[in-house]
Formats: sequence, structure tokens, C-alpha cells
Amino acid sequence: MFSTLKEKVGEVLLPGDEFSFDTDDTISLTEHVKPEKVVCGPGLRRSGDRLVVCKSGVLRHKQPNLFWIESQQRRYVPAKGETIIGIVTIKSGDVFKVDFGGSEQASLSYLAFEGATKRNRPNVQVGDLVFAQFAIANKDMEPELVCIDSSGRANGMGVFGGGGLLFKVSLGLVRRLLTPHSEIRSDLDQLFPCELVVGMNGRVWVKSSSIQQSLIITNLLQSSDTMTASQRQQLFQRVKQGPL
Amino acid sequence: MMEVCGSSNVTLREFGCEQSLLSRPDGSASFIQGDTSVMAGVYGPAEVKVSKEIYDRATLEVLIQPKVGLPSVRERSQEQCVRETCEASLLLSLHPRSSLTLILQVLHDDGSLLSCFLNAACMALMDAGLPMSCLFCGVTCAIDADGQIITDPTAAQEKQSRALMTFAIDSTEHRVMMSSTKGSFSVYELQQCIAVSQKASEKIFQFYRDSVRRRYSKTL
Amino acid sequence: MKDTPLCNCERDFLLKAIEEKKRLDGRQTYDYRKIKITFGTDYGCCFVDLGKTRVMAQVSCELVAPKDNRPNEGIMFFNVELSPMASPAFEQGRQSELSVKLNRQLERCLRNSKCIDTESLCVVSGEKVWQIRVDVHMLNHDGNLMDAVSIAAITALCHFRRPDVGIQGDEVTVYSPEERDPIPLSIYHMPISVSFSFFQEGTYLLVDPCEREERVMDGLLMIAMNKHREICSIQSSGGIMLLKEQVMRCSKIASVKVSEITELINKALENDKKARKAGGRCGFAESMPQERITALKKDKTAVEMTDVSERANEIVQKAEALPQTVPSPVVPVPGVGQVGQGPQNTWGLDEEEDEEDSDEEQEEQVTKMEEEHSENKEESRGGEVVEISDSEEEEVVILHPEKPDRTPKNTGSTSHQKVAASSKKRTKK
Repeated sequence: MFSTLKEKVGEVLLPGDEFSFDTDDTISLTEHVKPEKVVCGPGLRRSGDRLVVCKSGVLRHKQPNLFWIESQQRRYVPAKGETIIGIVTIKSGDVFKVDFGGSEQASLSYLAFEGATKRNRPNVQVGDLVFAQFAIANKDMEPELVCIDSSGRANGMGVFGGGGLLFKVSLGLVRRLLTPHSEIRSDLDQLFPCELVVGMNGRVWVKSSSIQQSLIITNLLQSSDTMTASQRQQLFQRVKQGPL
Repeated sequence: MMEVCGSSNVTLREFGCEQSLLSRPDGSASFIQGDTSVMAGVYGPAEVKVSKEIYDRATLEVLIQPKVGLPSVRERSQEQCVRETCEASLLLSLHPRSSLTLILQVLHDDGSLLSCFLNAACMALMDAGLPMSCLFCGVTCAIDADGQIITDPTAAQEKQSRALMTFAIDSTEHRVMMSSTKGSFSVYELQQCIAVSQKASEKIFQFYRDSVRRRYSKTL
Repeated sequence: MKDTPLCNCERDFLLKAIEEKKRLDGRQTYDYRKIKITFGTDYGCCFVDLGKTRVMAQVSCELVAPKDNRPNEGIMFFNVELSPMASPAFEQGRQSELSVKLNRQLERCLRNSKCIDTESLCVVSGEKVWQIRVDVHMLNHDGNLMDAVSIAAITALCHFRRPDVGIQGDEVTVYSPEERDPIPLSIYHMPISVSFSFFQEGTYLLVDPCEREERVMDGLLMIAMNKHREICSIQSSGGIMLLKEQVMRCSKIASVKVSEITELINKALENDKKARKAGGRCGFAESMPQERITALKKDKTAVEMTDVSERANEIVQKAEALPQTVPSPVVPVPGVGQVGQGPQNTWGLDEEEDEEDSDEEQEEQVTKMEEEHSENKEESRGGEVVEISDSEEEEVVILHPEKPDRTPKNTGSTSHQKVAASSKKRTKK
């Protein structure tokens, strides 16, 4: 199983493709046999004694035993611990309702901000952007957001957004932007100084020194979804040298 | 009894597909079989109306938009065929209390429309990244007056045919997921058509694979 | 389904960008997005891409009786369909404010401007005229639907050909396209709508707003004009106060845009005509962009037919091993029929079975229909039940009640004796 999965890493798989546990008939008695364990990420499911692909995309692998399918999806499905950009839609009592592009609105308690107490309420208006993470994200429950980490610090989360532009890109591009040594990010670094907030839900907020620059970054990022690395670098180079 | 059909009739017209061609839906595709073409758009998993909410799975809605006029009984029955096929292949229990909406727009009808609906639907669902246990495709077979099987018939061939059958076939074991028939035929003819459709489905699934592979070719 | 809400910072940014004369997609204030016009395989089918906005128009015709007040004019019918495919906010089968607005504007633009010669659509005065129906479907909504709709509708009308008709006496014959070449509609001029959006109480103006710009705009002005600079309709919505100069400036801009778009439409029609004449394939399949990474096409392929008939044969033969005989229907109690080997029908049978067990001589009874479930069943003979197999006997089931009012189904009491006898025979077997 492990070896067959590994063979397919980097290949395009479609829903319905299967991997079966090929247990060896001969188990060596002398050698210590380690039980094979595979951690399935998004797009892979266990069904009985098989591993079934349920999304189309490229199979990826991370040491030691993580496998997942990388796809170009647009609709976000919440997962616990992921940070997203949400739009506050309703202020009702002591919770805010936040739209994050999923199947239902998430709730965000007014106490879930740094330094917030019953007296000292955070200043949040309807239509504001919040950068928050999921405390509860479960298919059977209403998702719940918080703007503090486990130690009660804001850690970059909270209300933000003055003077910047929000736009949508595919979830695949967001993940590529957020990888530790993202090529797109480093390409962008060389272009203009800018402030970038990237939510796992496909929303990106950008603020640069001028509106023109913010717009350029927006359009560059939106178009780099379907480009190879060299195409992207060429385009960025052209923009840099251009008369802007 | 019918004899082995001539190979000239058992062809699929040229077919093509484009994915993510619309900016608003979460998944979209257009599928073309000869002159028949259908555009599909998928929204979801999204908010569901309380009246349509199902507590343990997603609500799937299929809407077929005819080219001229408003949807009628014919569209409703096709919607049902497509919906039942999609429900069988989608893992709806992974997104309870949400709605999936699949909209199919007829762009041109030149025969084998139902199978084109199914193929467009599958590509759009795949583009939307919805979890599926398997893929499906649609194949239409016509039996003409001489008892010959014609796969993927045009509108003119459909008109002259004695019987018309459309099957939805799954990708893992090539089983029949849905069938819709019109006209009269024998059991033997039915089985033969199923066998032909299963053969034809292999071509379509290979096409699905090729087009998805092409799509991801830059991120490999 | 709800649309994504617009956040405050987006609104502020957009308004600030408009102040600086910058637009989201890098256009200038008076620029249109890229317009692409393609045709379907049929006559009268047209797709228009305006940036990411995409609409499809289809023209069809039908012979109908004319309106009483206009006996020798054809009828124009417009239907703008906001398909939920275009935007999650659109719902099927509901007349929203937007769809009414678009429909009305299209009617004013094309019907009330008299751009189509409706008199030429008359076949028999007062009896038969052509009804030309224009269906416009939204496929993707990225702003400025009206302009896309008007371009698609007028292009489709120009492209449309109606079947030729012949009149001999009272008979009207409609010729198929094979018999006689279909006839194009006679169109006097082509009105095209141009939309202007106003921001900050009319201080700023943009042509061809995209979806996000539409969301933050204060007002909208739609001018329908033809290339002779004749204004066909003008509509302002949003409740902003416009100055005379602003309207004049907009109409000047509109005249430039209209002549550009008209030229584009004519070129597209010309190209399509050439392609059709050359006998090449045309239509949607051909217009699919092949170079895109998301598109793939496969040529006509043959399906392998080896072992298909063997397999079918095999399956059929296997299937025929099953018994195919249809068993004759069994009637365990009146009103209940049973075919085949399903589970035992228990409707109203339970009591009879005890009865049979206790006393073989007793005739069967149906106690279910009785009001009084008396313990002493021998006395209350509600009726007899007869099971008839494929014997020659008459296949009737008779209920013979003690009191005639209890079972109104009682019809054949004369043959009661005979059936009762036969049922006795059966129960004993």
C-alpha cells in the first residue's frame, strides 16, 4: 500500500481510483515488521480495506506517511485550526455572525478577542473583515471562530482591513501562497512592498503604498493560478520593468 | 435476433470539454458531443433553505434550463435522472445540512442530450471538488429499424430509431447506475446495448482522465 | 442562496480607486471589456462574452393568431431568464426585480423602437402571423448584464432565419429549410444599450461597470441607441440627480460605443456567413478555445465491439435460467390479489387461520370487515372466501353476509351455494 501510494505521488488521480492493502503472503518471522500506517489528507478516504480517491487532483506526499490530493477547488469547507478571512454580517447579542464562504455562517463571540471582557467589548461593525481561526469546525455543528490563540494572545488575528482590497483566488493558490518557502511569495517580494493577508478560505487582502500597486498585485495573483513558475516569473519581471 | 452491428455505427462523435469556464459558480464545465452541447454550473456546499434541509446529508438540486421557453415535464424527468445518478456517486453525507445546486443549460440539442447532461454534470462536479465515490458518464444507444445499434446518435438518427436507451455508467466497475429507455426492444438487445455502452464508457473515462491531467499539467 | 456580502474595506477601496480613475481590471473610465460574439449551430443562436459576463440568446418562431388590435402585425416576445447558474443570488422561476427591469428594458430597446418590421411577419391578415420569441439566458454574471443582453438579442435576431411559407387559397404551407431557403427578418436598425454607472452623487462616471462596481454605484443610466445616433430608449435608475450636461455627455459616449459595437456585430455576422457558405463546421463546438489548459477535445472515436455480442448473449442466457412463468393470481381474501412468491399475505387472514386449525370443517370467514368481533365465530359467518386456481370454475369471490346491510359488495348471492361448495372442497385439501 505504502509503496503503491508512493509510486503515484505527483500523478493526477480521479475520484474512484483505489489503492488496496496488498498484504504480503509471507511474513518474515525473524525481521521485525513495522505496521504500515498512512495518514490520509483531503481527497483520500478509507473504505473498508481500500483507500479511495474522492477528489480529482495531484497526489502529494509529505514525510513520513502523509498523503493528500491537491486540487483547484473554489468552495471552502472549514477545518479546525485554519485561519480565514471573514466578513461580519450580523451583530446579535454577544455573538457576531461571520461569512467565510462556506455552507453556513460561523459564530464569533465578542469575548474571543484579545483583551476583551464583558465591559471592554471589541469594536466590530457589520461589514468589517476579521482574520480568525476555527475553534470548532465540524460537519455536524455550527462552525465557531476565535480571534485569539490558545494563550489568549491575538497573534495577528482580529479586525483589520482599512485601505486594502479583498479578492478571491482558488484554494489551491492560497495553499501555495502559504507554504513555508512559497515561490510566489518570494517573487512578489521582489516586486513591491505590500501587506498581504491570506485566508485559507480563498480570500486574500492586499494593501500597498498606492492603489495602483494594490491593483497590480491583485491581478497578478489572480492570473498566476494557471501559470507555470517560469511564466509567472517572466510576467513579474515584465511588470517590474514596465512603466509603472 | 439481431446480428453483430456494423462497426460504422458504433462510434462516438467527436467530443470535448472545458472546465472552470465560468467565474461565478464553484464548478463549471461545458461538454460537447458532436453538435450537442451542454453547459453545467455547480454551487455548493452552500447554505440550504430550512425547508429543504436534510439533517444527515446534503440536499442536491438539479435544474435543467431548456434553450427555448420554461422547463417542462420533459426537463423535470431528465432532472430526476441526472439527480439520481449524481446522488449515487456523490458522498453527500460528508456535507450534511448544506445544499448542492447543479444547473444544466442546453446550448444545442442534436441528439443524445441526456448523456451529454450526465457528462457535463460529472465534469462540473469534479471541477467543484465535491467528494465522489466514483465518476459516471452517460452513453446513449439507439436501435434503428434494421436492429442495428447506433451509439451517440444525432437528432435525425434518434428520430428514425425504434428504441432509444441512455445509461449512466460508473467508473469503478462499469456498472449501470441509471437507465432511461424509450421504444421497444428485446432483452437481448438491451443487454447488447449495455455491453456497448460499457465499452464506450471506457473511452469517455479515459477522456476525463486526459482532460484532468492536462488541466493539472502545470502544477505537477 | 445568498451572495457574498460586500465588506466595508472593499467599498472604500473601490470608491477611492474610482476617484483616482483606476479600475479593478486596469481599464480606463470609458473602456468596454473585451466583447466576444459567437454563434451556435442553429440560426438565431448567439453567445456574447463581455469580459467574464456571459449570456446566450436564442430566437425561435411560431405561427399564431395576431392581436385583435393589430391584425396584420407579427408579435415579438422577449424573455430574459436569470438562470441560477449566473449567480447564486438568482433563483429559478421567480420574477425578481432585476429580471423585470432587464425584460422591460429589452422590450423598450427592441420592440418599442420598431427596429424590426413586424408587418412583414404577417402571413394571413387577422389569422396567422409569426411570433418571434427571443430567449436570453444568463450564464455568468459579472456586471452589466443589460448591455450583454441587448447585444446578444439583436445579434441573434440578425442571425435568425424563419422558414418560408407559401399560401394557396386558404392553405398555409411552411417549408422546411431543405425545400426552400429560410428568410432573414427585416431589421431597420440595431439598437444597442450602453450602461453608465455613477458614483459619489454623480461626480464620477464609468462605462460598462463590472459586478463589484455595480455594487457600490449610486445610479445607473442606460441609453439604447443605434448607429445613426438615434436614441431608442433612455432609462435612469438609482435615484440620482443628473444634470443636462451629464446626459448629453453620456449620449455622446454612447454614440461612439454603439458604432464600435455595431461594427463588431456586423463583422461577426459576416464571418459566420462565410463559414456557413464554405460549408465548414460552425457553432459552439468550434468556438471552444482549444489552447486553454482547462479544455480538451477528442476526435470521433470508434467503440470497440469485440466480444460485445458474446457478452450480451452470455448475460441473456444466464438470465433465462430464471423461471419466467408468471404464476396465476391468488386471491386470499376478497379485494386482495397476490402474484408470485412474495411473502404470505396476511390481510385479514390471521383469524381464519386459527379457525382452520381448530376446525377443518369450518368454512373460512372474513372477520376483518365486521363491526363486532364476536368470540363465537361459528355464529357470525361474515362471508366465505374462495381461492380459485386455474380451474374452469367461474372466478368470482362472494361475500355472503347474514345482514345484507353489512356488506354492500354482495352481488352474486345466487351462485353462493355453488361457490360455498367449492370452497369447502378447497379447505379440505
